[in-house]
Amino acid sequence: MKRPLLLAALAVAASATVPADAVDKLGTLAPYTPAYEPQGVDERGMWMMADEVEKLLAVSELRIGDEELNRYVERVLCDTVGSDRCAGVRVHILNIPAFNATMYPNGAMTVWSGLLLRVRSEAELGAVLGHEFAHFEMRHSLRGFEQRRKATDALAWLSVLGGFTQANTTSSQFSILSSVFQFNRAQETEADLQGLRYLAQSPYPSRAASEVWQHLMEEADATAAGRKLKRTDSYRAGFFDTHPTELSRASYLLDQALVYGDAGDGRSKDYYAAMKKHLPKFLADQVKLNDLNGTDYILNGIAGTTGWTGELLHARAEMFAARGNPRDLVTATTLYLQAVESGYRSPETVRGLGLSLVKSGKRSEGAKYLEEYLAALPEAPDASIIKLYVSQ
Amino acid sequence: MFRRFAAIALSALLVATPGSAHKVIESGSPAKILNGAILVKPQSRWNRLQQRAGTFQEVWTIDGDRLNKIVFYAGVPVGQPLLRERSKKRDPLPKVAANMLLPDIPVLLERTYRTQYGLAIMSIGKQEPATLGGQPAIAFQYSFIDPDFEVETKGEAVAVMLKGKLYLVAFEAPSTFYFDRDVAKFRELTRTVTLSGA
Repeated sequence: MKRPLLLAALAVAASATVPADAVDKLGTLAPYTPAYEPQGVDERGMWMMADEVEKLLAVSELRIGDEELNRYVERVLCDTVGSDRCAGVRVHILNIPAFNATMYPNGAMTVWSGLLLRVRSEAELGAVLGHEFAHFEMRHSLRGFEQRRKATDALAWLSVLGGFTQANTTSSQFSILSSVFQFNRAQETEADLQGLRYLAQSPYPSRAASEVWQHLMEEADATAAGRKLKRTDSYRAGFFDTHPTELSRASYLLDQALVYGDAGDGRSKDYYAAMKKHLPKFLADQVKLNDLNGTDYILNGIAGTTGWTGELLHARAEMFAARGNPRDLVTATTLYLQAVESGYRSPETVRGLGLSLVKSGKRSEGAKYLEEYLAALPEAPDASIIKLYVSQ
Repeated sequence: MFRRFAAIALSALLVATPGSAHKVIESGSPAKILNGAILVKPQSRWNRLQQRAGTFQEVWTIDGDRLNKIVFYAGVPVGQPLLRERSKKRDPLPKVAANMLLPDIPVLLERTYRTQYGLAIMSIGKQEPATLGGQPAIAFQYSFIDPDFEVETKGEAVAVMLKGKLYLVAFEAPSTFYFDRDVAKFRELTRTVTLSGA
């Protein structure tokens, strides 16, 4: 079985995009039922399938098993939704360089490394985790499944009856199909607003939820500008969209946060302190995705809190070195040197600096840095090929 | 009604007929890759696949695309990507650059694969000086995890930049069983390579 199909069928994802005029119709937080057991054949079946997926997640090559990181993300979830609620959830952090988190009906949650790279504070992370938890608490997987089943049943009956009566049922079928996607978007909005309520009752400011979507829009704009594409901001979701648009989400989440008017510390510095060990790997994976402008936006976002650290300068240098135009090599060399001057003299940085200098025609200067790389990592897998540029 | 049925039957026939879809490459006979950009003389039997993921690419296999394959990138010019881009604007791939050094070639392959195939896990292993078609080249190993099935694929490649064109010959197979069984055939084949630009 193709795993993504199963995952997609079961998981409710947070990725990308909202219906306009979203209204918070929910009252205060309902009392939470701990140790909930699935009810009825549909829900029990879904939980059973999700249990199987979770067994695969636990041994997945993509899983980041680092205990400290897992405990940290779980702690942020608990601080957001409350310790009674979070006890029903198991978080699995996956090494996938894209912005996403998913929730399964049995309480398994996946958090992708691309999400951890992009959020800028515990509050922003809590906003996404709270949204996912809302899907779980509100049994959205089950409700969505039931709605899709009803809709496809109706479609089947309509085509049979239409055949008997020779009536044209196209517009009715179109309308039923539309309702499936509308229902999905409505669930996303519901989860957004429920997630916002968790945030408002947490130590974190609820305004952070809107900021997540603002930053994603800005990153998409940067990517589009780099690829000479037009911006596509819209409040109105398309027919087949499963999520409301990012602009719409950013807008109604901000409006509702202003209604709550809560304040709090987003804990940006704590967030980046917790990510310090993993940031170089997350950055390295992002840099290899051939999106210079989008990646540059992410780096600038992080630098807004931490300043331009050696790790960030190194990642930015790698980005320009990989594109490799003559002016990129000048930029890359400068950035590598800045990283080194800031005290970040990792073997990878001096290797990149050496190769950039060699490519710029400064062979003897480059060779010095490459010698330093070989001295630091004599057993490096590329040692013998790098030696070619030292001996020339 | 009959006409419609006939059209459907004809289409089914066309789909079912392999025609000249793939071609057997016999052991011991010289073979031209992409109109002679690369010449080889394989010492084992291979199948050339009709499907290509890029203008400058040709794929050979023994048991099937996912089980063992040699991928030839034959003379990719500066400014071109290794593979056909899904969308030149929305999903552009990294391009071959004139100033690439030998250690840049594995990086180009990794960035291309990560972007095109959505790979989250890929790493480059041992990189060593080698020769390809008598030219100073880089030989390197790599591995990646298929995101759909989480199968580890191992790769080994030899590559060179020659007169503004990239020549890269790679062998890829699952790390379980197939890679170790067939990699010797690939190494043997790379020793017979002649490059048209040399």
